Amino acid sequence: MYTRLPAPYGSLINREIGVQFEFENKTVNGFEGDTIASALLANQQWLLSRSFKYHRPRGALTMAGQDANTMVQLPSNPNALADKELIKEGMQVSGQNYTGSLENDRGALLGLFSRFLPVGFYYKAFFKPRGMWEKWASLIRKKAGLGVIDQQLKSPYYDKQYKFYDVVIIGGGPAGMQAAIDAAVDNCEVLLVDENPSLGGSLNYARFDAAGTLGKLLRTELLSALQANSNITVMTNAVCNGWFADNWLPIICGNRLYKVRATQTILCTGALEQPALFHNNDLPGVVMSSAAQRLVHLYGVKPGSAAVILTGNNDGYGTALDLLDAGVAIQAIIDLRANPDYDEVAKAAIARGIKVKTGCAVYSAHSKKEVHVASVEVRNIIGQGICGNDREIINCDLLCMSVGYTPAYQLACQAGGQLSYDDQSAIFTLNNCPETLQLAGSVNSLWHIDAVLAEARRTAAIATNALGFTQVAVGEVIPKGSISPNHPWPIFAHPKGKEFVDYDEDLTIADIVNATGDGYEHIQLVKRYSTCGMGPSQGRHSALAAARIVAAATHRTVADTGVTTARPPFSAEQLGHSAGRSFYPARRSNMHYRHLEAGAEMLQAGAWFRPAYYAQDNITRQDCINAEVTNVRNNVGLVDVSTLGGLEVRGPDAGEFLNRFYTFGFVKQPVGRARYALLTNEAGVVIDDGVACRFGDNHYYVTATTGGVDRVYQNMLKWNAQWRLNVDIANVTSAYCGVNIAGPNARLILEKVCTDIDLSSAAFPYMGVRSGTVTGIPARLIRVGFVGELGYEIHVPQQYGEALWDVLIEAGNEYAIKPFGIEAQRILRLEKGHIIIGQDTDAMSNPNEVQMSWAVSKKKPFFVGGRTLSELEKKPSLRSLVGFVVNDIESPIPQESHLILDGKHMTGRVTSCNYSPTLDKAIGLAYVSPTSAANGSTIVIRSSGGVLVNATVVDLPFYDPNTARQEL
Amino acid sequence: MATLDPTSVKRRSPLNQRHVTSHALFKEFGGNLLVGHYGDIKSIQEEYSQAQMLAICDLSTLPRLGFKGPGAPSWLETQKLKLPTLPNTAKCQHTGSLVAKLSDQEVLILSDIFALSNDVATLSHKAEIDHQNYDKQTYILPRGDSHCWLAVTGTQASEMFSKICGIDLRSHKFAHGDIAQTSVAKTNAVVIRNDLGSTPGFYILSDISGVEFLWDCLLDAMQEYGGCPVGVSALQRLIKSS
Amino acid sequence: MKLLTCPLNGKRNISEFTYGGEYHVMPDHRTSSARDWAEHVFFHDNVAGLVTEWWCHSASSFWFLAERNTITDEVIRTFKADEIYQQRVEFTAPETEV
Repeated sequence: MYTRLPAPYGSLINREIGVQFEFENKTVNGFEGDTIASALLANQQWLLSRSFKYHRPRGALTMAGQDANTMVQLPSNPNALADKELIKEGMQVSGQNYTGSLENDRGALLGLFSRFLPVGFYYKAFFKPRGMWEKWASLIRKKAGLGVIDQQLKSPYYDKQYKFYDVVIIGGGPAGMQAAIDAAVDNCEVLLVDENPSLGGSLNYARFDAAGTLGKLLRTELLSALQANSNITVMTNAVCNGWFADNWLPIICGNRLYKVRATQTILCTGALEQPALFHNNDLPGVVMSSAAQRLVHLYGVKPGSAAVILTGNNDGYGTALDLLDAGVAIQAIIDLRANPDYDEVAKAAIARGIKVKTGCAVYSAHSKKEVHVASVEVRNIIGQGICGNDREIINCDLLCMSVGYTPAYQLACQAGGQLSYDDQSAIFTLNNCPETLQLAGSVNSLWHIDAVLAEARRTAAIATNALGFTQVAVGEVIPKGSISPNHPWPIFAHPKGKEFVDYDEDLTIADIVNATGDGYEHIQLVKRYSTCGMGPSQGRHSALAAARIVAAATHRTVADTGVTTARPPFSAEQLGHSAGRSFYPARRSNMHYRHLEAGAEMLQAGAWFRPAYYAQDNITRQDCINAEVTNVRNNVGLVDVSTLGGLEVRGPDAGEFLNRFYTFGFVKQPVGRARYALLTNEAGVVIDDGVACRFGDNHYYVTATTGGVDRVYQNMLKWNAQWRLNVDIANVTSAYCGVNIAGPNARLILEKVCTDIDLSSAAFPYMGVRSGTVTGIPARLIRVGFVGELGYEIHVPQQYGEALWDVLIEAGNEYAIKPFGIEAQRILRLEKGHIIIGQDTDAMSNPNEVQMSWAVSKKKPFFVGGRTLSELEKKPSLRSLVGFVVNDIESPIPQESHLILDGKHMTGRVTSCNYSPTLDKAIGLAYVSPTSAANGSTIVIRSSGGVLVNATVVDLPFYDPNTARQEL
Repeated sequence: MATLDPTSVKRRSPLNQRHVTSHALFKEFGGNLLVGHYGDIKSIQEEYSQAQMLAICDLSTLPRLGFKGPGAPSWLETQKLKLPTLPNTAKCQHTGSLVAKLSDQEVLILSDIFALSNDVATLSHKAEIDHQNYDKQTYILPRGDSHCWLAVTGTQASEMFSKICGIDLRSHKFAHGDIAQTSVAKTNAVVIRNDLGSTPGFYILSDISGVEFLWDCLLDAMQEYGGCPVGVSALQRLIKSS
Repeated sequence: MKLLTCPLNGKRNISEFTYGGEYHVMPDHRTSSARDWAEHVFFHDNVAGLVTEWWCHSASSFWFLAERNTITDEVIRTFKADEIYQQRVEFTAPETEV
């Protein structure tokens, strides 16, 4: 049977355009604008999926994308909400979480054993003895899952965008629309956000008056006022998924996450209708009364032929009228109230001759062969949650629940708002929201449309006044009405249970009560123990009922019990939304493409791309690296050192500043010389090193490590913000590209291209610095010996880097110059015994431990870390960084972090170790106990696979101890 | 149109590889090599229209220079420069150069995009003489080397920026001459609003070693608005035709 | 995301800033006891209430100070460092470097 109602029912669907899709391999016809759920319901397919734990059949509940009942599987999207997701031509949809078929799920047998599956069952049953869980886990997890992930999926384009508004209004119902209109005064930029396809909220479907015309008229009126104001931006199909500090609002629309900064926020998030609790309240065909109204008005779907309305307020009567108008027979209205206070709408319903049973409850719902509600058992109420024996069975194919609402308090609570609840009137209040955040409409427990609109106007005025756009009188707070649509106790326990508190997690009244019985009385503990509210709908329909049940079971008020924290996100969001475009800044030297052309294998060190080594055909990686080492030792090599940090320290106090900042003395350093610069922090820990090159009386150019320079620079500025020395500090790391040309033939090559500097050893000795030009390129030359050969670091302005590389390679051609990468450089420096900060040091290393006390001046009035180092000197040293040579060349080569053992005791660890092609030995650096630090001591290294390797401690450096080669 | 080999000069933009791949035709302006336009793809006239809508242009080889220190602003004024009053604002000089004040003690000078003015070279030369000893609290910053210089132009520019920059750069919030030192695509950057004729324009100065990353991010962000790279000729035409 | 007002650059997302630790006065490094020095280097006051902290605006490398209530996470005010550090700090032992 096809159950579409004629227009004007179905405001969201376009009957001109039919859409065909597949559900469970059956063809289904719908219209453009239909959701999967509305199209299926129009075709009387109520069963959508199976529940998480007991595989219970589930159908639409809210028709608002708020529940987990409608989760279906799309080919590349598990857990899609069928009442949110629009149908597309050819779309393939299936149910979730079943074994066999959706209609006949073998897993549903689990429900028969539900009494043996109490809360905490898995913890209690499968975790003992130890190791048991691993055996059970895969079996249980197969039964208890939701959708299936498409692991072949190629991520679509997700991105993010910042937006800025004076006022952001979340929720486009009557309150939100009115607030937007009033807030959009001159110059005030307003954003109105709604998660639905069209604005209006309840105006689209709810019954505000007996005639049923007020809602739509008001919507039309508000909409035209909105459209007339160009200050208002409207975003529909957009969900604000959280509130963060200073009105920072993540709003998801399509594949984009908008990061919206609002100066003022008005929450008009409305209220969420709540289910009643009775036996089998989860049967397909049992729906929120607002869901029935949405089906009728938004999608033109007639949800049944004979309905029972379970109500605790007058709204249920409005639903009855709507259904009656749509041709649905109303079997009865079951009113929980003994003496209802009828409004105009309720009276109109009664006048239509509908049978009303007051003081009664639906005690249970029943199905026949099909999994759909077929009848309800109605009983009289004799106490809170207790039914008497007067019973009546009423046949129906639709049961609508209208027993109350919770405010959509999630965003307000994230903003610091505190939710309170009055047990007698069942009215919620939200207090303590920030000054820049207002509430209007039913989220603020205002129900009458006049009160809702008045509060919206008032909050808009507060916002525009605060922004300085207006100075208007703000009226009094609109009082909450005395009548609440919330029934205080729509909860009826049944001897056979199955009164679901939490549909997502299949939790019943007994489960919650038992949790308190197990000793978990605090609502937060109940949540974690029972998993109530932890499913996809995040307690939107279970928090209130759970709080009520816990309150009753522990003899407290709901106000005292409280509800669980509602953290972001408000609704499920895809990982792509959080990831966006994922910006990972990458830095490249100006010579980058020359490395690629030369066959470099690049690696990323921090953000920098650096050549690891230059690959050659038919030669192994290690042989390539070894050849690069040998070429530097015997001939000449070229390495890109552009990533090295560079800092200009200039001014009359430049020397004094370095004296205070680094451990060494710099004031008396001669111009034209470089000096090693070791940096400790206030705790005396070595954190960086470099060389300070004095280019003038008041000018030092200081290098720093690639990874450390940004921090060094910030530290320098912070210290001088306090010292106020007459000095300027500039980070010029990227301003310079640099190479180190190193090897016995380095000078011969450089002399060809650098003619304005006397490069002779006498004129430009080791640790000298000079300014000049290299084929016209302005350059700073530094004679340093990191690799332990005659070498010049040449630093040139960044955009000349590639040209410098070209010049040196060409000039070096006759000497067979070869580039080398950082792998070779690491071996070369290890042979020379130079440490790398961060590799050979850790968060505890002080200069003394790493044999650097020579680089610490003891004659300065002050330097950072100095006092701590003098305290450390009074204590015995705990470890020492030493060089070692592996005794047997056939032994496996130890690696970084391999342990030094003394018998069973760990006494240290390896920090660097490599095969030295120059020495044909495995050499390394290690922390050892001071007792094994002397030259000639034997140490034992626990290498890979537990192999013990003997090594001998030797004096550093391993290579060229007299440093004759670098001083050539 | 004859093109120059970008490796014929020693000072080369790190983006040259990308420009060459995009069939750039290089042109010389005041001794600096820039992309004139991307020959095979669009004519200068088409690029001119593109620049009015949304485009990106690499100006990294054009001259620019920074000055810092308590003495810098007053020294620059003795060099006949008109400094903006407030920090984080920029002022155009009669020579066409743009003077950007980044703080009370820091100024950035950008050449005009025709490279006609000699301001940067003159100031650089003068400062080296006057401040050789760094004792007058005026310090040169090698902004021409440390920072790339990109221009983003067009009516869609601020909308595009909102995808990668957390500052409100819309015309009525970030006017001609305004400066923001901020983060663009997780990269520190100086963003200067500098309209070219009647077309909204933004200069981005950011760490030059990260310019290829930033360029790719900008291209990605501007794709949905139809933005693409243009040569400097299109930008020059924006100024000339105003 | 929280906003923080940089005295140079104005109100910015806090992701543009680096935290620089609590502000406190360094004791005299020559005369303070080892205990006092250790307190300065290794211990933090971690006050529940009003604290003064160092913050750096990363894009401009500008250091400044902020007064913040650690209970409410409310920033009371931000100000330039020269409000506290008004003159050059001297360390007065005689220079005998070789």
